Amino acid sequence: MSDIKRWAKALTESADSYKKYVGSWEEKIGSFLQFDPEAAQADSSGQGLLAVIPFGVKDNIAVKGFNMTCGSKILENFDCPYTATAVENLQKAGAVPVGKMNMDEFGMGSSTDNSALAETHNPWDTSRVAGGSSGGSAAAVAAGQVPFALGSDTGGSVRQPASFCGVYGLKPTYGTVSRYGLTAYASSLETIGVCAETAGLTRDVFKAMRGKDIMDNTTVEYKPSGKDDVETVAVLKAGEGDLNVDVLRSYKTSIARLKDLGYKTVEVELPTLKYVVPAYYVIATAEASANLARFNGIRYGLAAQGAETPSALMEETRHSGFGDEVKLRILLGTYVLRSGFQDQFYHRAQKIRTAILNDFNRIFESADALMMPVFPTAAFRHGSSDLTQLQQKAADLYTCSANLAGLPALAVPSTIEEGLPVGVQFMAPAFEEERLFRIAEKLEAVFPAQKPEGYSQEWKA
Amino acid sequence: MKYQSFVGLEIHIQLITETKVFCSCPNNFGDEPNTNVCPVCMGYPGALPSLNEEAVFKALKVSRALNCHINEKAVFERKNYFYPDMPKNYQISQFEFPFGINGYFDLELDDGSVKRIRIHDVHLEEDAGKMIHDAYQSRLDYNRAGTPLLEIVTEPDLLDGREAELFVQQFRQLVRYLEVTDGNMEEGSLRCDANTSINLPGKGLGTKTEVKNLNSSRFVNKALTYEIKRHAKVLDKGDTIVQETRLWDEGSSTTRSMRSKEDSHDYRYFPEPDLPPFRPDAALMARVEEAMIELPNDRKKRYEAELKLTSDQAVFITAEKNTADWFEAVLAAGADASQTAAWLSGDIQKILNKEGKSIEQSPFTPERIKELFDLINSNRISNNIGKDVLQAIFDEDRDPSAIVKEKGLEQVSDTGAVEKVVEEVLAAHRAVVDAIRAGEDKQIGFLMGQLMKATGGKVNPQLAREMIVNKIKRSE
Ligand SMILES: [Zn+2]
Repeated sequence: MSDIKRWAKALTESADSYKKYVGSWEEKIGSFLQFDPEAAQADSSGQGLLAVIPFGVKDNIAVKGFNMTCGSKILENFDCPYTATAVENLQKAGAVPVGKMNMDEFGMGSSTDNSALAETHNPWDTSRVAGGSSGGSAAAVAAGQVPFALGSDTGGSVRQPASFCGVYGLKPTYGTVSRYGLTAYASSLETIGVCAETAGLTRDVFKAMRGKDIMDNTTVEYKPSGKDDVETVAVLKAGEGDLNVDVLRSYKTSIARLKDLGYKTVEVELPTLKYVVPAYYVIATAEASANLARFNGIRYGLAAQGAETPSALMEETRHSGFGDEVKLRILLGTYVLRSGFQDQFYHRAQKIRTAILNDFNRIFESADALMMPVFPTAAFRHGSSDLTQLQQKAADLYTCSANLAGLPALAVPSTIEEGLPVGVQFMAPAFEEERLFRIAEKLEAVFPAQKPEGYSQEWKA
Repeated sequence: MKYQSFVGLEIHIQLITETKVFCSCPNNFGDEPNTNVCPVCMGYPGALPSLNEEAVFKALKVSRALNCHINEKAVFERKNYFYPDMPKNYQISQFEFPFGINGYFDLELDDGSVKRIRIHDVHLEEDAGKMIHDAYQSRLDYNRAGTPLLEIVTEPDLLDGREAELFVQQFRQLVRYLEVTDGNMEEGSLRCDANTSINLPGKGLGTKTEVKNLNSSRFVNKALTYEIKRHAKVLDKGDTIVQETRLWDEGSSTTRSMRSKEDSHDYRYFPEPDLPPFRPDAALMARVEEAMIELPNDRKKRYEAELKLTSDQAVFITAEKNTADWFEAVLAAGADASQTAAWLSGDIQKILNKEGKSIEQSPFTPERIKELFDLINSNRISNNIGKDVLQAIFDEDRDPSAIVKEKGLEQVSDTGAVEKVVEEVLAAHRAVVDAIRAGEDKQIGFLMGQLMKATGGKVNPQLAREMIVNKIKRSE
């Protein structure tokens, strides 16, 4: 019985011990906002590639039978009336969503500390964050609560927590996985992604959930080149000024391993990289300011009590329902979109977007894939003692480039440094996810992902 | 007036489509409140718009009929503002790259001359829901939210209220012809905002004001006439016009200020990331071209020139596309144009008005009308009986030949039968016969009347008249 098939026991013969195992980790890490294996079990086909495999869903993705809070007070009791296409595709392949994962409010953050509803800790060290914004998803996979969990990646929100927790984290090519049912933060940047315990499972989940969707006009036909084997890997030059000591050490190890495995490596630079964070935040906040306008207390979600007029209702609901980081980003987005200021901000950001894509295209003329760091640090401590909110934003540079360019990227667990996992990411041209899985599997065969203390498979016995 | 005036219009039309513009809910907002809604048009988190191609097709039809340049890449944008009836608090609209730009409309003025009015653009957007207020609460109905709305913006090429009124009327006729909207202004399927400015001749445009939500072409005229006079009074006093939005108050026949430019929204337009730019392909444009029917004005001219209809008849018949289409169907069945036009603008219209039915919904099929004409033209029934048969077609929903046969309405043209009746009438009115012999030919009419009375109007009148004359003359 393959390891993944064993997971089917969680919802059948080993259901009780599975729930107990999940519960014991929950007390320590709090990855779930809602855990209920029965809530949507009837909506799964029960057969297929992922038959009766449990999975977690980030709480900004719609699943009928569960709430969808987005980690926000404004949607705290929102009973979701429909299911996202990506989840539906997984249900067709037999998989069963068992719960909703904690996250930074509306996906805005790098720690999951911006959740208004619960705290999530890193399974490797509970004084540290799981990363974000898909922190609950990555933590649950690392702890063995689920074999995979869906996240969303707007600027690194799947890959960074995957790296912090020591699991695989895929951000697919933009347009390959339907966003229908993913609560929008920055529509042109984000995709639904996967955190998973193995490279092979990441591939299976991606295959099962992708596809053109009539409910999402930005989805496209999947058209890979067919050249799946990787010979040359470009490696982004990174030094002491770029990465923490631990992460730099890990990055060098990753380079050495690539060479050991027989890949030809070439060092490259990305001239546009220093501009991507401002461009990313301009576009993301601009889109967010419109995307989050719909939460106004009228049709669903939190409604402020005692408002005298419709506009007072909207104002008071938004005032009390949104957290500070969300308000900050809505204000920023409103600011950059003002008439007369668009050339200075929004249009300039779009030009940087084109420039970073050109950087990547140039690299992929002579390399099959690109290796980059995921984040300059390993998992940091809760609060701002290690990294302030601004430093956390500046640290998005390695991950958000893939979102600006719409390209696929996969975070792969690499080494353990000072007791914390550190990952590395691989990028490829659009639709070339298979190249990423092949590199990851080759590395995995020699250096499999480490598990945190307390991780156990015994409940499956 | 010493000033020159400029008027531009922004006209919204509700498109007739099966479904809403970005979701599959029925485009039917008169239903029970909040029944035609789904996660998409209710702005639920995670829901995305998906573009309805029927709405696109109709937008392109209007763009093409208004002689617009069709953008190769049409872009949807988000227009951001908060309003309770707008589920997402932004409206998906078009701004920089709408479907159609730089078009024109040839407006026929009262004196028959034609004035070319430039069209700035034609763009597609979604409508909002409806908010209903009463003393204690505001209620919202989202059935209309997300229904397709097409906005047509003219350049300020119209002179005054009357020209604007004519534009609205002729534009309405055009879009009804194109079958993209029912164009009902009272019900809001065609809504009009009008802007105007005045200036000394040769000085170009002045500061403009806009009057919102005019729901009849008459109000467009009245509101603009009022505004132009108001502007002139302000300028005469040496004051300046305040750029603002105003509302027409029908009760007082005046406009009043709604909001000034300072209060106006910054809509913060930006491209809608959920909808890729739309590129109309050759196949779609060919379908649009195919759908370009003869426009009302061209049709009217053709009826006058080729079918020799009177101007009144041509105007009447082409006013509504369904009437003109019906007219042509009767001609296609083989009927004569003048006869059809005469009946259509006469007795047929009279019956339809009285019964409150449109022609295509009435029992007057083109085949029946052609059959009726055949009965008359072959003298099987008289023209007057024909009118009765027409009413019977409507009342009984049956073919005229069946009605004529069953009711025995066919004219008696059999010489023997007619002769018998004529002799009876002559015998009964000896004195009249004598008078005619004495030269009072007018009295023949009296005898004809008696004859018709005796036969229920069924005698072939020409035959009977000849026979009366012959008999009286012969026995002289
Ligand atoms: Zn709908």
